Amino acid sequence: MLNIRNLHTKYGPISVIRNVSLHVDEGETVCLIGANGAGKTTLLLTISGLIKPSSGSIVFDGNEISGMRPERVVQLGISQAPEGRQIFAPLSVLENLRLGAFHRHGKNREENIARDLNEVFRLFPRLHEKREQMAGTLSGGEQQMLAIGRAIMANPRLLLLDEPSLGLAPRLVDTIMDTIKTLNNRGITILLVEQNAKKALKISNRGYVLETGRIILQGKSSELSEDSEVRRAYLGKDYKEISQRH
Amino acid sequence: MENDKVEYLPEDAWRQWHTELLQSTVNRVYERMPFYKKVLDEAGIRPEEIRSMEDLKALPFTSRTDLASNYPYGFFAVPLRDIVRIHTLGTSASTNPIVLGYTAQDLNNRKWLTRRFLVTCGVTPEDIVQICLDPGMAIPGQDLKEGAEALGALVIPPDPLSTKTRLQVLVDFKTSVLITTPSYARYLMRHLVQNGLPLASLSLKRLILVGETLDEETRREIELGLDMETRAGYGVSEATGPGLAYECPCKCGLHLSLDHIIPEVIDPCSGQQLGPGHWGELAITTVTTRSNPLIRFRTGDLTRLNIEPCECGRTTWRMAPVRGRTDGLLAIRGVLIDPADTSNLIAMWAGGKRLPFLMVLSDKDYLTRLELWIAINEEIFSGSLPHSTTG
Repeated sequence: MLNIRNLHTKYGPISVIRNVSLHVDEGETVCLIGANGAGKTTLLLTISGLIKPSSGSIVFDGNEISGMRPERVVQLGISQAPEGRQIFAPLSVLENLRLGAFHRHGKNREENIARDLNEVFRLFPRLHEKREQMAGTLSGGEQQMLAIGRAIMANPRLLLLDEPSLGLAPRLVDTIMDTIKTLNNRGITILLVEQNAKKALKISNRGYVLETGRIILQGKSSELSEDSEVRRAYLGKDYKEISQRH
Repeated sequence: MENDKVEYLPEDAWRQWHTELLQSTVNRVYERMPFYKKVLDEAGIRPEEIRSMEDLKALPFTSRTDLASNYPYGFFAVPLRDIVRIHTLGTSASTNPIVLGYTAQDLNNRKWLTRRFLVTCGVTPEDIVQICLDPGMAIPGQDLKEGAEALGALVIPPDPLSTKTRLQVLVDFKTSVLITTPSYARYLMRHLVQNGLPLASLSLKRLILVGETLDEETRREIELGLDMETRAGYGVSEATGPGLAYECPCKCGLHLSLDHIIPEVIDPCSGQQLGPGHWGELAITTVTTRSNPLIRFRTGDLTRLNIEPCECGRTTWRMAPVRGRTDGLLAIRGVLIDPADTSNLIAMWAGGKRLPFLMVLSDKDYLTRLELWIAINEEIFSGSLPHSTTG
């Protein structure tokens, strides 16, 4: 479904993504793990068109989308729930959700949007309860639900999730992770960026480990979560010892 | 990806996956292994310049000498505490052995690769699998044992038993699959005939042949002589073990485990990469090995590649059965012997004196034997040589 080949992205003269190749097959949940500054968010932003790559190819469903405008990328079926949620605080929950469907058209537009709104409210009953409330007054967990709900309103086939567990209480993290699993079971393919590597590996099929803009390891999530190096570096086991090799 | 699905991936999926695996492997070895950082820097190659499988041919080769000269732990890409097993191989021209380490994941991969090899060769959980390999093949012997156990078969592991006892086990334990070398299969066949054992009374239904070159004539002779099917497997101890390549029911080449290695065939003299169909030396890049990753490891085995999909539906490339060596090493009953090591050994016995010698291979009772003919002179008899440096 998504094939990335030899992607390079720079911020000015600084290379952030260095020759990254990865793929996501239809129906998969794939996670990207790595330390702060490894380039995970930049990679997602490059896929969704918010940052232009300096070179490389991103093919989605046979279409080259590298460097394409973000609204066109959304129309093709990719939407992103950004890190830090980025919701519109002065607008209501409902208005935020409807904004997620801004690009949708066709004669059954309103009907389809209403159906998907119901779907989001079924997934997140809290959003239904607070649908008229200003989004800025929601708790962190609710804002995260709103960010994911807004991304779903774009009716994506591939959902990019950037740190959905960031800043949430452990119980809410589990709720969000369960929701991601549910979305995947409903047929949405997911590319997940997470610092909580343990949780991310638990709900994904495969994973890539990003280190200073390069992929240094990949594999089935079950293998990566058992890998000593991954456990030390990203799962909180003896972090200090990563450098004490020889 | 599930093992049974991965062998059937379409060509473009392989291309994407191999590009990813090659890039992450080069990134990892460059960051984690001083040896590869040095050779890549010397060759003027930066990891981010690897853009496709085409760029593989720009990378430097790795030889058995490179492995041995980084003795003991210089070829490890992970901390020693991640290694759960170590094997040594004495096949290099250097005096140091090759040290191979395995992480828990490496061992798991070897086990599942061997399991896939055996399953593809028709072994089932109902089988009684007897492994008859020389002690020199201890590493593949252990891998085969673990792979057969992983698929649920009853396994009789390699034992230093006499041929008579092995035959007794074969008959009394109702062995249904025998894993051995082609030469030992012929040797056993002769013993079976000599002892007047009726072949029809054996439970044996399949032979899996490993460790040596297998020409069509030998294969036909074994299949006709024992009236049963044979399948072949190929492995490299330094790489992923015995599950590296194996035959499907079509028996038209050995399917390579492309999910764990990237194979290529090169001209052994110039090092130039050769296209499919050309005979040359097999070089292997391992793409999942954590402990001792290898970039373009020169196996010394002579083969050719077929990249067309197989009639069985598998899309994994196939290699022709190995038909010889390119590096002067002798493969005897699955064990590689380096004439240079033999020369060193004789010199040690002869107090440092280099004596001319001949290595004579003979085929006695179908079993390959190595005789060493050493030219001696008066000094040897008179005892005037310096004392031997060995015990």
